[in-house]
This record gives sequence, structure tokens and C-alpha cells, in this order.
Amino acid sequence: MTARYLIPLLACCTLLTASPVFADADDLVERGAYLARAGDCAACHTAPEGKPFAGGLGIESPFGTIYSTNITPDPEHGIGHYTEEQFAAALRDGKRTDGANLYPAMPYPSYANLTDEDVHALYAYFMQGVEPVATQPPETSLGFPFNQRWGITAWNWLFADQETFTPKADRNALTERGRYLVEGLGHCGSCHTPRGIAQQEKALDDGDDAYLAGADLNGWWAPSLRAGKGGDGQGIEGWDTQAIVDYLKTGRNVHATVGGEMTSVIAHSTSHLTDQDLTSIAQYLKSLPANPANESVASADEREQATRETAARLTAAKHLSDGERLYIDNCAACHFNAGEGADRVFPQLAGNSLINADDPTGLIHTILAGARPPATPTIPAQLPMPGFSWRLSNEEVATLATFVRGAWGNDAEPVTAEQVARVRASIKQAPLSRAPDPNGSLNHEDGDQ
Amino acid sequence: MASQPDNVSRRAFLRGSVTLIPAVGLAGGVSLTAQANEPAPNLSEYQPVFFSEDEWSFLLAACDRLIPGESAGQGPGALDTNVPVFLDRQMDAPYGHADRWYMEGPFVTDGSPDLGFQYPYTPREVYQKGIAMTQQYCKQQYGKRFEQLDGNTQDSVLQGLEANDIDFAALNGIHKLQAADFFSQLLQNTKEGYLADPIHGGNKHMAAWKMIGFPGARASYRDWVGQHDVEYPLGPVSLTGERG
Repeated sequence: MTARYLIPLLACCTLLTASPVFADADDLVERGAYLARAGDCAACHTAPEGKPFAGGLGIESPFGTIYSTNITPDPEHGIGHYTEEQFAAALRDGKRTDGANLYPAMPYPSYANLTDEDVHALYAYFMQGVEPVATQPPETSLGFPFNQRWGITAWNWLFADQETFTPKADRNALTERGRYLVEGLGHCGSCHTPRGIAQQEKALDDGDDAYLAGADLNGWWAPSLRAGKGGDGQGIEGWDTQAIVDYLKTGRNVHATVGGEMTSVIAHSTSHLTDQDLTSIAQYLKSLPANPANESVASADEREQATRETAARLTAAKHLSDGERLYIDNCAACHFNAGEGADRVFPQLAGNSLINADDPTGLIHTILAGARPPATPTIPAQLPMPGFSWRLSNEEVATLATFVRGAWGNDAEPVTAEQVARVRASIKQAPLSRAPDPNGSLNHEDGDQ
Repeated sequence: MASQPDNVSRRAFLRGSVTLIPAVGLAGGVSLTAQANEPAPNLSEYQPVFFSEDEWSFLLAACDRLIPGESAGQGPGALDTNVPVFLDRQMDAPYGHADRWYMEGPFVTDGSPDLGFQYPYTPREVYQKGIAMTQQYCKQQYGKRFEQLDGNTQDSVLQGLEANDIDFAALNGIHKLQAADFFSQLLQNTKEGYLADPIHGGNKHMAAWKMIGFPGARASYRDWVGQHDVEYPLGPVSLTGERG
């Protein structure tokens, strides 16, 4: 068939499928799917190896394990019987169809800002775009008093005060779009905003300096996302808009490579967002003034001087401390003597927020178990950091971690072997690397034949 | 060797892959809690896995002549560095079994050395046959086992093997192994054990690397490209992270 005939034929097909009714419905479901990505619903509502959105993931909370629910359109086990109004109430107010409260493990205090339009699209997606799954995830049963769901009403009254989003007229539209995504579907504050005495996020929007100011997540430091000026110039404050976009899109940028819980957020959520949405998120974060610098913190010049000194000592390699020697033997091949790493490949160690966190758990975990960046649509290759658990003793990891927490102007407390032992015992995942097996996959029986 | 090499290797591969999967899961629990770096064994306490007691005695004596110890030479010897442990493990590894070699005929023993290994014997069998032949020769010639001979006599036996002056075929017409080939295998593996990473059992505490100034498995020398006429100050590091 020649192109002359093909083109009108294709045009016909397009006309047929592009009838207004179909297009709108499909667009709506597709937009809902995109929003569900932005909200990373699958992160909690899909169990490991489980069917998408069929629930069953156990989320550890200070009150016990909370199991995520089946949010597929199955009428019995899922949310197939929800009206759009009931769906909206669950999403924004944390209300079940029977009027009972959802546990705030569901980030409804954040989702409360969703526009009606977006709730409508999400509803269309969950009803029409998701495969129904007829399985019942485990029931959440917390101990008293946390099994009294009515008690959450008071909590909601105290802490869940976010309203439907209305852009502020005096702000840049792109930045406002970023605010909508960060405060709402992105629910970034769930991890990055410190929590108060009732486990509430201390702030749900940028009206408070505590908003996105960094928080401890089971020992891992979820760093401050306040990327504007005014702080010590370290961490995300030193990232420009493009660096933030790159990080969210690929898990890598010129400064850092993602680790810990954020890996899955990037893999399943942010790497699928449009460049425009990522840019608006980045612009919004850049609009938040940074946490004020601690008075004792070193100036940029002092840090630069310290970096030169550390690099010079490692380069001369004479009279090294154990920590310096361990760094050269185990780390320097990729992170280099100046701790600068390499753009988009090896994260920078100087000024690294995980290394400088008060709690060294994340750093110890990374040294022991390694880290694998996510495969993202634009950078599918996953060059992992190997784990060193098989190679370094607790004392050696402690010595090494203490060194990197004090090198290149980094400034954090030393690490003890006991801290390393605790993290080592807590790691359940299979290691990314283990001792080389000099015998390979020898099979004695065959060899003896 | 088996008569159906393809099936054997395929079966070995499949079995290998099947056992690899649970091994990964197992390692998740084991290797993260295990501390790194098991200490190298003392040679005198080592229980060989492959070599028989008699073969082991020969090996200790022969290695000691090939790379003599501190007292005799300038540096650590084969026995100081656990080379026999390396050989024992090597023979128990795929290499010893010729697991990944083409082991079917024709075997062209009188062809050019370019043709490579031309025996129907695995390295394990080369050792077993070679040691037995050498012992038979020593018994016949000196009325003693190799390890009972004095050093100079041991050297002349080894030289006889190397030069192929000892005729294995005359001692035992059953197999075709040449003394020189047995010797070169022994010498080659002894050198390997002396210089390989300690993870393989030899080069105990990287003594051989320290002697020759080899920095080991560091893989991080970018900063030395521009440092001229400066002595490299660092001792070696092993695959398991041992620092020398």
C-alpha cells in the first residue's frame, strides 16, 4: 500500500476513535492515572509481589501495624461500591463509607487540598482504569486506645485543617502548581515535615517554618526540602531548579543519588511526572526559605578549605588514620579524595545530608547494604553502590563512618561499633554484594565423574 | 570424564542455577550478620579437602623447594604463605575439575604447544598421577619417599621432572602423562597460590604482595597519575578488605 492511500485511511481511523465522548472519558482516566502516580497511591496500596492497588502492605506505625486497603474497583473487597462523593470523603477527609475514620497513615490531611476536578479524574481512573481484585487484605487491629477510630475525629479537628487548593493570585502560576502538588498529592510532608507529639505533621503548608524542614524516618534523615536561601548553603539549598528536577526525574543529579525510602518514590511516582510539573515542584521548593543556619556551622570558605585539606591528606597517603585508610581502600575509587563523586553517577559526600544527619543509621545502612538507584524511564540503568557488610567489621564501619562524617568540612558526631551492630542486625533485605566465592558454582558430583 | 560432555555441563549449569537462587536468599541472612575476614588457617592445622595424606606430604616438600622459605631466601616462602592450602582449594574448585574445559578427544600429545592442554585428565588427575609417579620414581631410585629426601636430592628430582628426564611411561605404561607437564602444572599453580589474592587460600596476609610491592585490590590510583618520583606509600589491601 502506498503512502497516498495510507494517509487518508489513518485519518479515518483517527476520526473514528477520536469521537468526543470516547476521547474525554479516556483522557479523564489517563489524567486520573497520572494523578494517582503523583500521589504514589501504589506505594502503600500495593503489597510486595501483590496485584496493583489490592492493598495488604503492612505499614509500621508507633501504634502498631496498619494494613493498606484494597482500592481496586472490586465491589466487595475494594472500593467498587463507592460513589464519587464517598471516594472524595475518603480521599480528603479520611472518612470510610460507614462514616468511620481512616487512620492518618492515609495522607488525607494532605490530599484535602485536591480540587474537585482532580478527585473526579482519580475516581474515573480507580473505577475504570484499575483491574478489580477480589482479595481481602489483612484487617488492621491496633491495641486500645488506637483501635477506637472515633478518637481520630478529635485529631482531625486539631490537625487536619487543609482546605481545597486555591492558587494565590500574587504568586507565579508555575510555583503555585508546585505548591499544589507538594502540599497535596505529593504529600512530601509525610516524611519531610517533623511530627509533633500526636504524630501529626507540624505543618501542612508553607505558613509555618517547620513545613518540610526535615524529619527523622525510622533513623533515616529525610532532609529539609526548603531549598530557598537563608540557611547554611548545604543540602538542597545548594541545588538549583534543574538539579531538583533531575533528582525527582531520575534519582540522580550533579550532587546526589537517591537512597532509602525516596528510591521507591522516585521509581513509582516522580519519575513519571511531566517536566513541567517537576519544574513547578522545584520552583516551589526554591521559594521556601531555608532552615536558618546553626551558628556553629562552618562557612562555605571554611568547608572548601577543609575539603582541600582532606583531599591533600588522602592524596599524599602518608601516616593515614584507620578511617582515612579505610576510605582509600573501600570508597575513594568512586567518591574520590575530595569526596566530590561524579555527576549523576557517584554521589558527593562533602555536605551530603545523609552523612551529616544527627542519626547515622542511614549512612551505616548504606555502607553495609549498599544502595541501588531506581530504574527510571529516562535513566533505566541502575549502577548500584555495593554493600560492604561482608568486607568490613562493625569497628571498621564505625571508623569509616566517623571519618566521612568529619572529612571535607562535614560535621557530625562519631559513630560507634554498637550503632553499626544494631543497624547490621536490623537489615533484612538481601545484600547487593557478598564475599566473592572463589569456587564459583562448583558441583562436586559432576566434577568427580 | 563423562561420555556426554554437553549434557554434563548443561546439567551442571542448571543445577548451579537452581542452587544459586536459594543461596542468594540465604546469604541475605548470613553474610550481613557475619563479620568480615576469617583468619587464615595455620598450615600445620589445615585438613586438606582434596589431597590424600601422602599427596599432601609430597606437596608440602615440593612447594618448599619451588619457593623456599624465609630462612633460605630473601622473602616469604610457599609454606609461609599457605600455598599448599591454595592448591588444595584450587583442586576442589571448577578449575581442578576442568569443569569449563573441552575435555573430549582428539588429544594430540605430540603436537605443537599452541594446541594447549592435550590430556584427557583434569588438573586433579594430573596431580594424583604425577605425585604417584614421582613417588614411585623416588622409591625406585632412592628407596625413600620424596619428602624424606634431603633438599638437594629433592631439587634434582624436580629438575628431572622439569626436563622430562624422568620417564613416567617407563614407570607405568597405563597413562600418557609427561613428567614435564606435571611439573609445569605444579610450578604454575604454586606461583598462582603465592601471588593470588588471599581469599583463595594462599598469599597469607599478602606477604608475597608486600615483598614485591603490589598494592592489591585497591583500584583507586587516579591521584597517583600526576605524582612523579614519589614512592607509593600504601601497603596492599585484599579482596576481603584485609590491610597490609
